[in-house]
Amino acid sequence: MPKLDQRLLDQLRRRDSEALHAIVDEHARRLYRAARGMGFTVVEAEDLSQDVLVTFIESLDRFEGRAEVATWLFGILHHKARERYRSRAREELNDPIETVFEAQFDERGSWIRPPVAPDRAASARQARDAIRECVDGLPPLQREVFQLRQVEELSAAEAGNVLAQTVTHIGVLLHRARMRLRACLERKGWMY
Amino acid sequence: MLTCIEVSTLVSTGGLDDAPLMRKLGVVLHLAMCRHCRAFRRQVAAIGRAVRELNAAYEAEPPSGFEAAVVQRVLR
Repeated sequence: MPKLDQRLLDQLRRRDSEALHAIVDEHARRLYRAARGMGFTVVEAEDLSQDVLVTFIESLDRFEGRAEVATWLFGILHHKARERYRSRAREELNDPIETVFEAQFDERGSWIRPPVAPDRAASARQARDAIRECVDGLPPLQREVFQLRQVEELSAAEAGNVLAQTVTHIGVLLHRARMRLRACLERKGWMY
Repeated sequence: MLTCIEVSTLVSTGGLDDAPLMRKLGVVLHLAMCRHCRAFRRQVAAIGRAVRELNAAYEAEPPSGFEAAVVQRVLR
Protein backbone atom coordinates (compact mmCIF):
# COMPACT_ATOMS: atom_id res chain seq x y z
CA MET A 1 0.00 0.00 0.00
CA PRO A 2 1.30 3.50 -0.82
CA LYS A 3 2.88 5.71 1.82
CA LEU A 4 2.34 9.46 1.88
CA ASP A 5 5.32 11.39 0.57
CA GLN A 6 6.51 14.48 2.45
CA ARG A 7 5.42 16.89 -0.29
CA LEU A 8 1.82 15.62 -0.29
CA LEU A 9 1.83 15.57 3.51
CA ASP A 10 2.88 19.25 3.60
CA GLN A 11 0.20 20.14 1.03
CA LEU A 12 -2.47 18.37 3.08
CA ARG A 13 -1.39 20.17 6.24
CA ARG A 14 -1.89 23.45 4.34
CA ARG A 15 -5.36 22.15 3.22
CA ASP A 16 -4.25 22.39 -0.39
CA SER A 17 -7.36 21.72 -2.48
CA GLU A 18 -5.64 19.57 -5.11
CA ALA A 19 -3.97 17.39 -2.47
CA LEU A 20 -7.25 17.01 -0.59
CA HIS A 21 -9.03 15.93 -3.76
CA ALA A 22 -6.28 13.38 -4.45
CA ILE A 23 -6.50 11.78 -1.00
CA VAL A 24 -10.31 11.82 -0.96
CA ASP A 25 -10.56 10.38 -4.48
CA GLU A 26 -8.23 7.57 -3.48
CA HIS A 27 -9.77 6.60 -0.15
CA ALA A 28 -13.33 7.91 0.39
CA ARG A 29 -15.18 5.23 -1.56
CA ARG A 30 -13.06 2.46 -0.05
CA LEU A 31 -13.83 3.74 3.46
CA TYR A 32 -17.52 3.93 2.55
CA ARG A 33 -17.41 0.32 1.29
CA ALA A 34 -15.68 -0.84 4.49
CA ALA A 35 -18.28 0.94 6.64
CA ARG A 36 -21.09 -0.71 4.68
CA GLY A 37 -19.29 -4.05 4.98
CA MET A 38 -19.18 -3.54 8.75
CA GLY A 39 -22.96 -3.24 8.80
CA PHE A 40 -23.64 0.51 8.68
CA THR A 41 -26.55 1.86 6.61
CA VAL A 42 -26.08 3.96 3.45
CA VAL A 43 -26.52 7.21 5.39
CA GLU A 44 -24.34 6.11 8.31
CA ALA A 45 -21.58 4.86 6.00
CA GLU A 46 -21.55 8.13 4.05
CA ASP A 47 -21.32 10.17 7.24
CA LEU A 48 -18.78 7.83 8.81
CA SER A 49 -16.42 7.82 5.82
CA GLN A 50 -16.54 11.64 5.69
CA ASP A 51 -15.95 11.81 9.43
CA VAL A 52 -12.89 9.55 9.11
CA LEU A 53 -11.31 11.76 6.45
CA VAL A 54 -12.03 14.94 8.43
CA THR A 55 -10.34 13.38 11.48
CA PHE A 56 -7.42 12.23 9.33
CA ILE A 57 -6.81 15.76 8.02
CA GLU A 58 -7.19 17.22 11.51
CA SER A 59 -4.74 14.72 12.97
CA LEU A 60 -2.09 15.08 10.26
CA ASP A 61 0.35 16.60 12.75
CA ARG A 62 0.47 13.24 14.53
CA PHE A 63 0.67 11.25 11.30
CA GLU A 64 4.12 10.07 10.34
CA GLY A 65 4.54 9.72 6.62
CA ARG A 66 6.17 6.34 7.16
CA ALA A 67 2.82 4.79 8.11
CA GLU A 68 0.47 3.42 5.46
CA VAL A 69 -2.34 5.90 4.80
CA ALA A 70 -4.96 3.17 4.40
CA THR A 71 -3.95 1.48 7.66
CA TRP A 72 -4.13 4.84 9.47
CA LEU A 73 -7.56 5.56 7.94
CA PHE A 74 -8.92 2.10 8.80
CA GLY A 75 -7.67 2.64 12.36
CA ILE A 76 -9.71 5.86 12.60
CA LEU A 77 -12.70 4.05 11.04
CA HIS A 78 -12.39 1.28 13.63
CA HIS A 79 -12.45 3.76 16.54
CA LYS A 80 -15.35 5.74 15.12
CA ALA A 81 -17.29 2.57 14.38
CA ARG A 82 -16.80 1.43 17.99
CA GLU A 83 -18.15 4.77 19.24
CA ARG A 84 -21.24 4.29 17.11
CA TYR A 85 -22.08 0.72 18.01
CA ARG A 86 -24.83 0.88 20.60
CA SER A 87 -23.63 -2.29 22.24
CA ARG A 88 -20.55 -4.18 21.34
CA ALA A 89 -20.46 -7.76 22.51
CA ARG A 90 -17.13 -8.78 23.97
CA GLU A 91 -15.17 -11.25 21.91
CA GLU A 92 -15.20 -14.42 23.97
CA LEU A 93 -11.98 -16.32 24.58
CA ASN A 94 -13.73 -19.57 23.71
CA ASP A 95 -16.06 -19.29 20.78
CA PRO A 96 -18.54 -22.20 20.35
CA ILE A 97 -17.98 -22.07 16.57
CA GLU A 98 -14.56 -23.65 17.19
CA THR A 99 -16.23 -26.65 18.84
CA VAL A 100 -18.58 -26.90 15.83
CA PHE A 101 -15.53 -26.87 13.53
CA GLU A 102 -13.57 -29.43 15.56
CA ALA A 103 -16.60 -31.76 15.74
CA GLN A 104 -16.27 -32.26 11.99
CA PHE A 105 -13.07 -34.28 12.46
CA ASP A 106 -12.45 -37.72 14.01
CA GLU A 107 -9.79 -38.48 16.63
CA ARG A 108 -7.14 -38.83 13.90
CA GLY A 109 -7.95 -35.34 12.58
CA SER A 110 -9.69 -36.57 9.39
CA TRP A 111 -12.99 -35.26 8.06
CA ILE A 112 -16.04 -37.15 9.35
CA ARG A 113 -18.43 -35.56 6.86
CA PRO A 114 -16.23 -34.24 4.05
CA PRO A 115 -17.03 -30.79 2.60
CA VAL A 116 -18.34 -30.49 -0.94
CA ALA A 117 -16.69 -28.00 -3.29
CA PRO A 118 -19.22 -25.31 -4.29
CA ASP A 119 -20.44 -24.99 -7.86
CA ARG A 120 -18.56 -21.91 -8.99
CA ALA A 121 -21.02 -20.94 -11.72
CA ALA A 122 -24.06 -21.03 -9.48
CA SER A 123 -22.40 -19.74 -6.35
CA ALA A 124 -22.06 -15.97 -6.44
CA ARG A 125 -25.41 -15.09 -7.98
CA GLN A 126 -27.50 -17.34 -5.76
CA ALA A 127 -25.53 -16.68 -2.63
CA ARG A 128 -25.85 -12.87 -2.55
CA ASP A 129 -28.85 -12.67 -0.21
CA ALA A 130 -27.75 -15.63 1.87
CA ILE A 131 -24.25 -14.25 2.37
CA ARG A 132 -25.60 -10.80 3.31
CA GLU A 133 -27.72 -12.34 6.07
CA CYS A 134 -24.85 -14.51 7.27
CA VAL A 135 -22.38 -11.58 7.38
CA ASP A 136 -24.97 -9.61 9.39
CA GLY A 137 -24.88 -12.42 11.94
CA LEU A 138 -21.13 -12.13 12.62
CA PRO A 139 -19.94 -10.64 15.93
CA PRO A 140 -18.59 -7.09 15.27
CA LEU A 141 -14.88 -7.79 15.73
CA GLN A 142 -14.98 -10.94 13.59
CA ARG A 143 -16.85 -8.96 10.96
CA GLU A 144 -14.20 -6.22 10.98
CA VAL A 145 -11.36 -8.73 10.70
CA PHE A 146 -13.12 -10.50 7.84
CA GLN A 147 -13.71 -7.16 6.09
CA LEU A 148 -10.12 -5.98 6.49
CA ARG A 149 -8.47 -9.28 5.56
CA GLN A 150 -10.83 -10.64 2.92
CA VAL A 151 -12.23 -7.52 1.24
CA GLU A 152 -9.70 -4.76 1.90
CA GLU A 153 -6.86 -7.27 1.52
CA LEU A 154 -4.85 -6.01 4.48
CA SER A 155 -2.15 -8.36 5.76
CA ALA A 156 -2.63 -9.96 9.17
CA ALA A 157 -0.02 -7.53 10.57
CA GLU A 158 -1.81 -4.49 9.10
CA ALA A 159 -5.19 -5.68 10.38
CA GLY A 160 -3.55 -6.26 13.76
CA ASN A 161 -2.30 -2.65 13.80
CA VAL A 162 -5.74 -1.31 12.90
CA LEU A 163 -7.60 -3.36 15.51
CA ALA A 164 -4.87 -3.47 18.20
CA GLN A 165 -4.77 -7.28 18.10
CA THR A 166 -1.89 -9.72 17.73
CA VAL A 167 -1.31 -11.37 14.36
CA THR A 168 -2.18 -14.73 15.94
CA HIS A 169 -5.48 -13.43 17.25
CA ILE A 170 -6.32 -11.89 13.87
CA GLY A 171 -5.92 -15.43 12.46
CA VAL A 172 -8.19 -16.85 15.15
CA LEU A 173 -10.85 -14.20 14.49
CA LEU A 174 -10.65 -14.71 10.71
CA HIS A 175 -11.03 -18.48 11.23
CA ARG A 176 -14.05 -17.96 13.50
CA ALA A 177 -15.66 -15.58 11.00
CA ARG A 178 -15.11 -17.98 8.11
CA MET A 179 -16.41 -20.99 10.02
CA ARG A 180 -19.43 -19.04 11.24
CA LEU A 181 -20.21 -17.96 7.64
CA ARG A 182 -19.72 -21.52 6.42
CA ALA A 183 -22.03 -22.94 9.10
CA CYS A 184 -24.64 -20.27 8.32
CA LEU A 185 -24.48 -20.98 4.57
CA GLU A 186 -24.75 -24.69 5.33
CA ARG A 187 -27.94 -24.07 7.31
CA LYS A 188 -29.30 -22.12 4.34
CA GLY A 189 -28.52 -25.00 2.02
CA TRP A 190 -25.92 -23.10 0.01
CA MET A 191 -22.87 -24.98 1.19
CA TYR A 192 -22.49 -28.68 2.08
CA MET B 1 2.21 -35.80 7.85
CA LEU B 2 -0.28 -33.03 8.56
CA THR B 3 -3.87 -33.99 9.38
CA CYS B 4 -7.02 -32.57 7.75
CA ILE B 5 -7.88 -30.50 10.82
CA GLU B 6 -4.38 -28.96 10.86
CA VAL B 7 -4.47 -28.15 7.14
CA SER B 8 -7.99 -26.71 7.17
CA THR B 9 -7.17 -24.60 10.23
CA LEU B 10 -4.07 -23.22 8.50
CA VAL B 11 -6.13 -22.46 5.39
CA SER B 12 -8.87 -20.77 7.40
CA THR B 13 -6.70 -18.70 9.76
CA GLY B 14 -4.53 -17.44 6.90
CA GLY B 15 -1.61 -18.73 8.97
CA LEU B 16 -0.03 -20.29 5.91
CA ASP B 17 1.40 -16.94 4.78
CA ASP B 18 3.83 -16.78 7.71
CA ALA B 19 4.37 -20.53 8.12
CA PRO B 20 7.88 -22.03 7.78
CA LEU B 21 8.74 -23.49 4.38
CA MET B 22 8.50 -27.11 5.56
CA ARG B 23 5.00 -26.53 6.91
CA LYS B 24 3.95 -24.87 3.64
CA LEU B 25 5.31 -27.86 1.74
CA GLY B 26 3.41 -30.18 4.07
CA VAL B 27 0.19 -28.31 3.31
CA VAL B 28 0.82 -28.39 -0.45
CA LEU B 29 1.45 -32.14 -0.30
CA HIS B 30 -1.63 -32.76 1.82
CA LEU B 31 -3.82 -30.71 -0.51
CA ALA B 32 -2.46 -32.59 -3.52
CA MET B 33 -3.59 -35.85 -1.96
CA CYS B 34 -6.77 -34.87 -0.09
CA ARG B 35 -9.83 -33.88 -2.13
CA HIS B 36 -11.80 -33.12 1.03
CA CYS B 37 -9.36 -30.42 2.13
CA ARG B 38 -9.26 -29.09 -1.44
CA ALA B 39 -13.07 -28.84 -1.31
CA PHE B 40 -12.80 -27.03 2.03
CA ARG B 41 -10.28 -24.58 0.55
CA ARG B 42 -12.67 -23.94 -2.37
CA GLN B 43 -15.48 -23.28 0.08
CA VAL B 44 -13.35 -20.70 1.93
CA ALA B 45 -12.43 -19.06 -1.40
CA ALA B 46 -16.09 -19.04 -2.53
CA ILE B 47 -17.18 -17.31 0.68
CA GLY B 48 -14.50 -14.65 0.14
CA ARG B 49 -15.57 -14.15 -3.48
CA ALA B 50 -19.22 -13.80 -2.56
CA VAL B 51 -18.48 -11.20 0.14
CA ARG B 52 -16.19 -9.25 -2.20
CA GLU B 53 -18.97 -9.16 -4.81
CA LEU B 54 -21.38 -7.91 -2.16
CA ASN B 55 -18.90 -5.17 -1.28
CA ALA B 56 -18.39 -4.21 -4.91
CA ALA B 57 -22.09 -3.33 -4.97
CA TYR B 58 -21.59 -1.14 -1.88
CA GLU B 59 -18.77 0.74 -3.57
CA ALA B 60 -21.09 1.80 -6.37
CA GLU B 61 -23.71 3.23 -3.98
CA PRO B 62 -22.45 6.77 -3.28
CA PRO B 63 -23.67 9.36 -5.81
CA SER B 64 -21.23 11.03 -8.23
CA GLY B 65 -20.82 14.13 -6.02
CA PHE B 66 -19.76 12.05 -3.02
CA GLU B 67 -16.04 12.85 -3.16
CA ALA B 68 -16.68 16.59 -3.70
CA ALA B 69 -18.98 16.62 -0.66
CA VAL B 70 -16.23 15.01 1.43
CA VAL B 71 -13.73 17.68 0.36
CA GLN B 72 -16.26 20.40 1.20
CA ARG B 73 -16.73 18.93 4.68
CA VAL B 74 -12.98 18.71 5.22
CA LEU B 75 -12.53 22.35 4.22
CA ARG B 76 -15.43 23.56 6.39
